[in-house]
Amino acid sequence: MVNELQPLPTVQEIVTLALSIITSRTFLEIIVFPGFLNVMLGAAFLTWLERKVIARVQLRIGPLYAGMWGILQPIADGVKLMFKEMIFPERADAKLLMLCALGLMLLAAAPVVPIPFGDGLVIADMDVGLIYVFAVISLFPTVILLIGWGSNSKYSFLGALRSLFQQVAYEIPMWLSVLGIIMLTGTLNLAKIVEAQQKVWFVVPQILGFVVFFTAVLAELERTPFDLPEAEPELVMGWMTELTGVAFMVGFLAMYTKLYLMSALITALFLGGWSGPAILPQPVWFLLKTFLVASSVVIIRGSFPRVRVDILLRSAWTRLLLVAFANIFVTVGVIWLGLGGIWRI
Amino acid sequence: MADVVFLALSGLIIASAILALEARELIYGAIWLAISLMGVAGVFILLGAEYVAMFQVAVYVGAVVVLIMFTIMLVHRESGRIVDEEGPGRLGRAGAFVAGLVALTVAVATILLTPVSPAAPEFYRVALPELGRLLASSYSIALVILGLLIGATVIGALTLAKVEREGEPDGTVE
Amino acid sequence: MEPLSSYVILTSAMLGIGIYGLVSKRNAIRLLFSVELIVNAANINFIAFARYSNPPILNGWVVVFYSIAAAAMEAAVGLALILVAFRLNGTIDVRKLNRLRG
Repeated sequence: MVNELQPLPTVQEIVTLALSIITSRTFLEIIVFPGFLNVMLGAAFLTWLERKVIARVQLRIGPLYAGMWGILQPIADGVKLMFKEMIFPERADAKLLMLCALGLMLLAAAPVVPIPFGDGLVIADMDVGLIYVFAVISLFPTVILLIGWGSNSKYSFLGALRSLFQQVAYEIPMWLSVLGIIMLTGTLNLAKIVEAQQKVWFVVPQILGFVVFFTAVLAELERTPFDLPEAEPELVMGWMTELTGVAFMVGFLAMYTKLYLMSALITALFLGGWSGPAILPQPVWFLLKTFLVASSVVIIRGSFPRVRVDILLRSAWTRLLLVAFANIFVTVGVIWLGLGGIWRI
Repeated sequence: MADVVFLALSGLIIASAILALEARELIYGAIWLAISLMGVAGVFILLGAEYVAMFQVAVYVGAVVVLIMFTIMLVHRESGRIVDEEGPGRLGRAGAFVAGLVALTVAVATILLTPVSPAAPEFYRVALPELGRLLASSYSIALVILGLLIGATVIGALTLAKVEREGEPDGTVE
Repeated sequence: MEPLSSYVILTSAMLGIGIYGLVSKRNAIRLLFSVELIVNAANINFIAFARYSNPPILNGWVVVFYSIAAAAMEAAVGLALILVAFRLNGTIDVRKLNRLRG
């Protein structure tokens, strides 16, 4: 099959190759920042942030005792969950459930690759970064469906189906709402999109796109007001009902990782990414804006009632799509007026 | 380096494809199919077609596989696993396997004996605006027809799968 | 860089597995798996030949876009048909679904 068989690499060559990979900058970026450590710490921090912000919205205080201001609460939660027993129903597919929980975490962390946390501080400068993120997002319904099915419970399966319909329905407005940005910059590269926003952030001309994207992301994350797959009085925890112990911890952390990375994506696309006055370093600006977006998501959770499932689906296919199209027309108008040069890279 | 990656990817694709067809439960078969299709996306990336690879992941693995799994779950009988008596029996399957092997050998031999094997030209990055221009100029009519086709397909699939109920209220309150 | 023949061997192998599935499986959904495999083999072929042309051409990519979209549509309609057949006959075994009924 191979026309010239190459000699097998010697042990020394393998060791040299391994060493060169470990000390390379990309590996460091993957492990520490903006990769593995960043994602894990960000997700854990967001669990704390959510509980605090929700508490304040509801006129309470939130976690208080684990460390100053309850900041060590995520660690306490993690340790507790790790010691809990993993109970699976008798005819549920335990292997499938555990594999899918792991897959959920992998998928949730995958969008971090093309997101730039600073000028040049990106794991992989992908020319197709934006569509890579969307492709990863579109893989979620598969895993959720498998978890719902593997639970061997009609109610979990119903929750998984609701989640599937919701996520698939809101993918379309999400894809369409960034078309305006792609038209203005002519690239799918997230690093270049952030660079193009040095003068004016995209939230200004693309305000409609921002609203649509934010709403679609809320629905993709299954946050209130699009909370129905998790409606507690009805479905316990929806498709995550049968995940327990470590599997639950992984699934739970996956949801917050998704929240963190989607907020990072919104920041990179609409709020100018790492751009800001030079008082603070660029990654700090990026993180500040990301946590601002995440806090808004949490405040919305505390302020709005749940939307009924048929209204949810119908408004995705009709109203949100129309607003996304309106955004495209506004963008065409902006380009026609000759203002497109502001964002020319 | 590219050799190893290509061998690993092809092994993944072929192994997952065989597993997809031979898995006991249909759901696992669908999972193996998804893995195989991701492997195909990997081959696309290896060939420099990153945009097509992302498209493949988003459409094939993200939508088609979900559809397949959803249908499997809907036709799953209550007994807990689909009774999937496989095809023609042991002798027939052995015969099919041998015939397949012979066919594969003939195909590989023909491919390797073909004197024309072009060397790969220099790798160049495809600028996406170029692709957009191509789609908008040469293939614009085809794009429009594709849109109409998708619309017709969706209507057709919905009509086929619709369950007729007596006296169902028409439309919903706005 | 891999010679083009390696890619063609890969696609022929996929084609072979697809045909094996089409010929010897009773379950209608497994037939669909096989069809998807064959279509993907053809897609790899298109991209490989587009890459190895001199100069590399983009028309192969456009054909593959269409192919992926068309295959998705075909899967949707095929699965709808399987659902209807299941509802009317209670089985998706293609050897039993061999009567034209109203």
